[in-house]
Amino acid sequence: MSKREGARYPAYVPEYPRSWWLQTGPYRRFAAREITSMFVAAFSGLLLLFLFAVSRGREAYEGFLRWLKLPAVVAVFAVILVAVLYHMATWFRLTAHIQVVRLGRKVVPKSVVIAGLFGTWVLASVIVAYFHIWF
Amino acid sequence: MSEETIAMKVARYRPEHAAEPYVDEYRVPYREDMVVLDALNQIKDEIDGSLAYRWSCRMGVCGSCGMMVNGKPRLTCSTFLREFYPKPVVVEPLRHFPVIRDLVVDMTDFMEKLKEVKPWIIRKGEKPVEEGEYLQTPEEVDAYKQFSMCINCMLCYSACPVYGRDPEFLGPAVIALGRRYNLDSRDQGQAERREVLGVDWGIWDCTFVGECTVVCPKDVDPSAAIQREKVATTTEAMLSVMLPFKGRT
Repeated sequence: MSKREGARYPAYVPEYPRSWWLQTGPYRRFAAREITSMFVAAFSGLLLLFLFAVSRGREAYEGFLRWLKLPAVVAVFAVILVAVLYHMATWFRLTAHIQVVRLGRKVVPKSVVIAGLFGTWVLASVIVAYFHIWF
Repeated sequence: MSEETIAMKVARYRPEHAAEPYVDEYRVPYREDMVVLDALNQIKDEIDGSLAYRWSCRMGVCGSCGMMVNGKPRLTCSTFLREFYPKPVVVEPLRHFPVIRDLVVDMTDFMEKLKEVKPWIIRKGEKPVEEGEYLQTPEEVDAYKQFSMCINCMLCYSACPVYGRDPEFLGPAVIALGRRYNLDSRDQGQAERREVLGVDWGIWDCTFVGECTVVCPKDVDPSAAIQREKVATTTEAMLSVMLPFKGRT
């Protein structure tokens, strides 16, 4: 407790703990959303390593691919994938919350905006997979 | 006939009697149509007249009776006891504010911040009265109406961990109100308000936890107001870089 300087009357000021983000379900979900952004950064790091390997020639590139296939690396990136997917889902939900989409005078419901974002993501994934598998 | 009762655990703070807050437990008659504020009034009238708390309208309009009810910021006039019965109801003062007495908090900080954001229509020049009112279309009213429903109950401040950790933060209601006037087609004070809102302890302090929106009894949605103000501020800054001579004469 602390007394406020110069206040007209004494007041009790409770401490707010550093561990506030563990206190309630919504706070924990917020923390999970923010922490999973680190995994998005980790995935971006992987892409940079990939580009770096490519720039150093064929041998480095093939070495990088061999490293990627190590069981421990696959396991780490499986975890990263789950975290990134979770982060993406929260991001879509927040985007729909912030961005008001209008068709004429009508406001498009949030659920439709979220479905549109997921649909676009699935479509983009299908296109990438198509080029990856057939070309 | 034995009467049903419910236990009320009420936080007390009486600095002349005890340096630290403590909890008093009361049993009050329970009826299905009673709200938490009814139970507090029952305590004050029949059991302990020394209990201090704020209330006024009893119908979710005045914004005076916000308290923590079983750990969540609620308007006690619209929180029914039946939500908790037969479990006890824990009533505490709104979190993140200094407690003056029992359930009464010091709202000076909020009132000061409310003034800072200039929650009124700012005109560069008033037009003569003969020219009539500043008219608005229904769409122009809809643009800000949701954010104008705030009753200053401060529940959003108690739900906001950013305000809990950093009392400098302008906070949800104040920013939503600034946004309300920025969106008003009659207003010309965006630039003045942006100096208040677009600072580190303004919109950029918000990490979008979103609980302000969840607890708001008037569906004002302050978290959306803050994020949209961030988008508007950023868009304006980008445009001023790309179109440096726009708006200059």
